Amino acid sequence: MLKAEQLSKTYETKDWAGLFRRKQNRVEAVKNVNLEMHQGQIIGLLGINGAGKTTTIKMLSTLLLPSTGCITVDGLDIVKDVMAVKKRINMISGGERMLYWRLTARENLWYFGQLYNIDNKTLEKRINMLLEKVGLSDKQNIPVERFSKGMKQRLQIARGLINDPSYIFMDEPTLGLDAVIAKELREHVKQMAYQQGKSILLTSHYIQEVEELCEYVYILNQGEVIMKGTPKELALMGMESKTLCIELYSNHELLHASILEACHEVEKDCNIHWDADNSRYTICSRKDVSNVVTKVLLDKQVPLKGFYLQEPSLEDAIVKLSKNASKNTSTEVSA
Amino acid sequence: MSGFLSCFLKVLSAEMKKQYRVYFFNKSIYLSLFLWPMLTFITAYYNYKPFRLELIAGGMGYINEKNLILFALIGYLCMIFFECFVQSAWMFSFERINGTLELIYMTPANRLAVIMGNAAASLFGSIWLFIVFACGIIIINLTQLKFQLWSALIGIIFLLVLSILWGMFLNALFLFSRDSGFLFTVLSGPMEIFSGIKIPTAVFPLWAKAISVVFPLTYIAEMLRRIFLNGANIYELRGFIAASIIISIILLAVTLLCLKLGEHHAKKTGNMALF
Amino acid sequence: MLDLKTLYATFVRNFTIQIRAYPKDFFIGNILSAIYTSISAFFMYHLLFKGNIKQSFIDYSGTTDYISYIIIGYSMYHFMVRTLLNVSRSLITELREGTLESLMLAPFQRVQYFVGNMLQQTITVTGEAVIMILICLPFGLKFGGLDILSTVISLLLSFYAYFSISLILAAVMLYTRDTYISQNTLFSLLFLICGVTFPIEYLPASIQWLAQGIPVTLSLEIVRNSTLLGVIAADQAGNFLKLFLISTVYCAIGFLLIKKVETTALEKIHG
Repeated sequence: MLKAEQLSKTYETKDWAGLFRRKQNRVEAVKNVNLEMHQGQIIGLLGINGAGKTTTIKMLSTLLLPSTGCITVDGLDIVKDVMAVKKRINMISGGERMLYWRLTARENLWYFGQLYNIDNKTLEKRINMLLEKVGLSDKQNIPVERFSKGMKQRLQIARGLINDPSYIFMDEPTLGLDAVIAKELREHVKQMAYQQGKSILLTSHYIQEVEELCEYVYILNQGEVIMKGTPKELALMGMESKTLCIELYSNHELLHASILEACHEVEKDCNIHWDADNSRYTICSRKDVSNVVTKVLLDKQVPLKGFYLQEPSLEDAIVKLSKNASKNTSTEVSA
Repeated sequence: MSGFLSCFLKVLSAEMKKQYRVYFFNKSIYLSLFLWPMLTFITAYYNYKPFRLELIAGGMGYINEKNLILFALIGYLCMIFFECFVQSAWMFSFERINGTLELIYMTPANRLAVIMGNAAASLFGSIWLFIVFACGIIIINLTQLKFQLWSALIGIIFLLVLSILWGMFLNALFLFSRDSGFLFTVLSGPMEIFSGIKIPTAVFPLWAKAISVVFPLTYIAEMLRRIFLNGANIYELRGFIAASIIISIILLAVTLLCLKLGEHHAKKTGNMALF
Repeated sequence: MLDLKTLYATFVRNFTIQIRAYPKDFFIGNILSAIYTSISAFFMYHLLFKGNIKQSFIDYSGTTDYISYIIIGYSMYHFMVRTLLNVSRSLITELREGTLESLMLAPFQRVQYFVGNMLQQTITVTGEAVIMILICLPFGLKFGGLDILSTVISLLLSFYAYFSISLILAAVMLYTRDTYISQNTLFSLLFLICGVTFPIEYLPASIQWLAQGIPVTLSLEIVRNSTLLGVIAADQAGNFLKLFLISTVYCAIGFLLIKKVETTALEKIHG
């Protein structure tokens, strides 16, 4: 298990204020973040830009020292036992950097494999397996500079698995990829978690991807975790009201009074709108009124064209929660 | 211990191979690696031409009009060894821009092995062509050359060791700072003057001699000149040998310190990926 | 009416970038180079050879002032390097940043683009050169025979000469898509054969012949004549004309080469 407790990171920078004076700025990029990763679990780390996702990932992947707090990986402390921790983790980043363009795919994997001290026989087998897995076997001897973006991204994944890590951090892995490659990548991620038991932490701005992959999500805003839960729970948290839509074949004016009465019994302030052109009711309420409305429709034996709830969206939830959090919290601390 | 050593060598050889493939991919680069040192050396040789060499300042001892070309050649050969590491350290700073420095830091690989591999790759890539040229010049001036075999071997070993250590030191220094270009500029220039490559340190004023003491190139250049122009034996070179050993230890210690502090600094400030 | 908008825009763009992010380290690097050169010349002349220069040097250079000879030579070399670095690299930078195509739509604007780059660079380098000269004065730099008019004309013609070479280098860079190897090889070569730190007469005859065909050689000669030997403008008219003509030929060749290489460069991107 990976556990991060009370994790914080403060950057201190100096800017010129006039010709000879320097002003110290302190930016709290991450504040008191607690998170856990279990075997075979895919976790999402979301937030708007500048929320502290990349800083958190870098602390987890040993690239940044936390200012306060501690991280343990299978009981090992990330600061004291850093070399042992490095063997168990890896990071996959989106974009085209972090590869040697003049080397071939195979040479890139070989090099990083050497840095992880993987014995030659195992490394050879693993490189073949990884290249096969990411679909680059027939391109393995081509310099990376001639790869397309998708191919580079696939090689990144292979590189991220070279040391067979137990914990993988993926920072926007499908950034800029087309739909086909992105879907393939998501399948890889599921396979790594469910079949191989790896723990994966994922950041992404593609909400659909997060909804598809993540079992548990942390939402960051201005360095703090403002909400956590399953994608469904979070979507519901962010949704203030439910919207029920009922489409009829014809105008049933006698229904108006019954539906109104039934809904108001559940919630006095619910909003009922009748669209005469489309013969559609749209009912907005905080509580669920679908049961009482169904009863009315059955009693009146009204033929229905459509009856559906508009699904809560995680994207709306994130935007809303982030906005709310921004109103309540203070911004950067200046010295 | 053997496990540590095999791991160290693994990383060292991987880094050497990687650096070699990344930077020496193009045939034309070999041309420049030969041309530039050759042009620099020829320019230096012609710089002596306006002067009356027979009136060279006293105290030079073994330098005269006849062996001047060898004097300059030996100095520049040593300097090329050291300069190629300044270049390699500067090129290593591109790892930061490329994002691969972060990936290296993320692995448990021994940091000393990484920079040693980087330095060694530059050595083998850059030097061999110039040595070919230098051998040609030496053959032409063979009468001026006088040396003892054991002294020559020791001199060359010290040249290799000191230049690699210098390269590792620079690599470690460049890891520390984002402004590697500046360090490159500051260290390149004074080395040529103050190490006595063009002008022997014997004629320097005190303040210049004090600066020359800092550069390992000063000792090795003078040592090799005494070996190849004066036929000095090991006993006569004892002062230089002692100085070279002390400097090697200092360089290694400072390198290890820079590596440790540099990584700690990068992890604290997050400047590993900044450039 | 000549449309100078591109020239002005390029000039302002470059100047603004420099003012905002002036690489002080690069500036300090240049100052240090000046100091190193001066120290090297000083040590060589005063300490190693105790001022014993050959008669041949005096005959070839026309002066006994070795230190000033070196410093003037190096300063002009510095001008040349900075001009070449800036102007020649401008096109390849556009290529790397992906803006070359849009730039190549209007051929006349190309001239202004280069001139705009050069003008801005010249102003910056002149500022640096003034500081470098002040630093070199304590090392023994003396303007033994300074003729102001002749110096001004020599400098202007020298800038034109360096501009003309930079166009050819720009074409080479664009064709090979490399800057590092091509520029450094050229700098090393010019440093050796154009008389920067010693008279070219010491070189073999064939190399001297080659050097005479490079505008840098003549530019160094006329600048030294104007600053050290006090040769007046009228007496250098022949040299001025010769340099102007050579540089113009280089300019013409440079522009033709760039035009030819441009289309190939674009094909290489898409191919």
